[in-house]
This record gives sequence, structure tokens and C-alpha cells, in this order.
Amino acid sequence: MNPEGPIQKILLYVDGSEECITAAQYGVALAKETGAELKAVYVVNISLLEELVKARIFIKIEEMDYQQDLEQDGKRYLHYISEMAGSKGVSIETELVKGVVNKEVVKKIEEWHIDLLVMGELEQIHSRTDTYHDEAELIFRKAKCSVLFVKHADAVERMFESLE
Amino acid sequence: MRIFDLLNEQLISVSLDKADKQGVIEKLVDLAVTSGKLTDRDAVLQAILDREKLMSTGLEHGVAVPHAKTSAVSGLVLALAISREGIDFQSADGNLSHLFFLLLAPVAAAAPNIQTLAQIARLTGNSEFCESIKSATSAQDALEIIRRAEK
Repeated sequence: MNPEGPIQKILLYVDGSEECITAAQYGVALAKETGAELKAVYVVNISLLEELVKARIFIKIEEMDYQQDLEQDGKRYLHYISEMAGSKGVSIETELVKGVVNKEVVKKIEEWHIDLLVMGELEQIHSRTDTYHDEAELIFRKAKCSVLFVKHADAVERMFESLE
Repeated sequence: MRIFDLLNEQLISVSLDKADKQGVIEKLVDLAVTSGKLTDRDAVLQAILDREKLMSTGLEHGVAVPHAKTSAVSGLVLALAISREGIDFQSADGNLSHLFFLLLAPVAAAAPNIQTLAQIARLTGNSEFCESIKSATSAQDALEIIRRAEK
């Protein structure tokens, strides 16, 4: 780590989307370049499951079943990103947490003293209500650190592949 | 995750009448078949019926959301059927159901599945939307009502 550098700790927000994989590639490259510490977080969206139980769409057994699915998915994504970072000689610390997605990510930013959050491109906003329910949008608005959105998946992948 | 993006005119029926619960589910599955994403119609039907046995997905205010995750679909599939007269779907409030949203999801698609169900819950939580779509005269009309509601 470069103690004088502007970026000391990078956090990757992992949600399982293709965009977050592109962001992870960029984050790994940035960590390698700057020597910054790299972390990744995946949040099991408990609040959405609770919302569905409250709406009576889910019964309790389904809530538990889907929670397990989300946990397994999260572990798989984090493992994939760890392997990806490892393949470029970059060490990464990952954590899977449960709760309200945007609140948990904001909490981790503060807890880990993150100075750069790296995330995938935001989805297109179709309505005002999207801004209330899109977790990535909420994280962007609430994060108390700089946020980097990664675009151009093809170019990022080429750049990542060329890393030694 | 927009409901509008998952639907098309072939996946919507606005004239679902004189059917029982089994008939509604079969009609919805037949609509879903038009997506081309079902690999086994009977397995899908059974998955929905198995879920209904645990507890009816007939909610309050005339809405029902039968759903299942199954290996018999290759992607997220949504179908919508509307009954003006209403059908007994063993709903939570004992009233007849008018709007039937069927959601099928592959086993490994937990997050988009949950997000879509949540979006259906939000949309149908709006009584104005429910009244409006209940009176849709065509699939095109229903699609337009959904598009406007999600704008």
C-alpha cells in the first residue's frame, strides 16, 4: 500500500449482476496499480423477503428457502471474485452480510474506513419509484465516500486480461 | 425490474371467465408456454399446484400471484390473466380474485425472482392500478396500463 496515495481502501459492491463483475475487474486493476487494500461485500436482501411475507406472497418456509438460495448465490459470487483477484496477485477480503442492502453497504464503508466504492453501471431509471427501490441507486446516494461506476465491459475485460 | 419488460401481448389474457382455480392455473401456464422458455409444461403445472397446496397465493383485493421456481423453465416467465367477474382462488380475504400474475423462475435465479415478486406486490398494492387493469379490454390495453403505472 502506498501510504501517501489518495486511495487506501477500495470496496467492491457485489450483487451478482454482470455489471458488478466488470466493476470487480476494474477494482482489482485499481488495487494492483495503487496498492490499495481491497474488500468486497454481498448483502442478502432480507428486507425484500420480509416484504414478500408481509404481502402474503411468500409463506415462512419459502422465505427461509429463498434466503438460503441468496446466501449460496452470494458465496458463489464472492468466491468467484476472490479467485479473479487472486489470479492477478491481488489479495481481497470478502464478507457476506444480511439486512437492508443499502444500509449494510453504507455501514461497511464506515466500519472499514473505505475511501472508494467501486460498483457496476446503474440500471436505467424508469420512474420515480425506481429511485426508492433500486439498491445501487440508494447506495450511491447514501455512501459517505467517493463512488466509481464502471462502464464499457468489453474494454475493462481486455484491460483486466492484460494485467500481469 | 419492470413488469412491463417481462410481458407481451401473447402472455396476457383479459377474458378469463367461468373457470375454477385449477382452470385459471392451467390457462396461465398455457400463456407462459408462448414465451418459449418452458421445457416441460406438466412439470411447471405441478410445481404451481404443489405451491398452492401449502397455502393459496390468492391475496387480498382481488389479486393472486401463483409462482414457483422450477428447473422446467430456462428464464424468468411472467403471465397475466384478468377476470372481470372474478374467480374463487381461495384468497386471504375470502373475496373473488380478478388479477392473476403467474411468475415462473429457474432454480438459480433467486434475486431477479424475488425482485419481480416485490414489484408485483408494489404495483398491485395500488388500488387505482388494480381497478384500471381489471377493466382492460385487450392485452395491448393491459400492457399500456402497466407501462403507465411503472413510469
